[in-house]
Amino acid sequence: MRTRESSPTNPHGNFGSASRSMDLDQRFAAEKAFSSVLVSTVREAVGNALGHNVLEILASKGLLDDASNSKEFDRKLQSLFGNGAAVLERIVVKDLNRKLGIPYNSEARLDYEKSLEIAREVCFVESRMK
Amino acid sequence: MFRGEPDEMSGSEILLTLLGSEIRGDLLVLFHKNPGLIDTVDAIARRIGRTTVTVISELRELLELGVLRQKRIGASEVVFLDRAKDRELLESVANHLKTIRIGGEK
Repeated sequence: MRTRESSPTNPHGNFGSASRSMDLDQRFAAEKAFSSVLVSTVREAVGNALGHNVLEILASKGLLDDASNSKEFDRKLQSLFGNGAAVLERIVVKDLNRKLGIPYNSEARLDYEKSLEIAREVCFVESRMK
Repeated sequence: MFRGEPDEMSGSEILLTLLGSEIRGDLLVLFHKNPGLIDTVDAIARRIGRTTVTVISELRELLELGVLRQKRIGASEVVFLDRAKDRELLESVANHLKTIRIGGEK
């Protein structure tokens, strides 16, 4: 069964080719797995850069509530850190790519949303292979 | 080579300095993951996959802020994390962030 409805963690229903060929249960499990990897990566990245106290304050402000919604996360990060948001996003993407075995190019301009889409796709492909 | 630490800075100024560039972000992560690290500028640059030339000005900013310090060991100048200053600076950042509302929320 192929479905394209949106989910709470991906309101745009934009899952890419790997996820389109998954059934609903597989897709839900893969999305959950991706969300878990992403949130733990964001926690590690922010914690390692700015310390545990800052991380907890950001968590209490809801920064991590919907971290896999890249637009919303980017908006929240911008409102808190201004230009520093891009640095934190780079740290997140670098860590995430390392965990998923995706090459990272620090010279290239970072598109946070696109980077997360690629990471999600890789995560889904890995889920299908299990 | 490096000037001393600046006068009192606000939490937002500290944050701007800490996250002023990707390299500074990488340096913060490196030293927070390895708080006992003491190494030369060349070795630190290698650890984060950069060249000394690209790292030196970013290190200078963190040395001026006081989160990193420099000392001579034998013939080498080494850089290390000032843990007490780091805690103090991050506390200021935390206090600053407490006052900010995400995305204009009330």
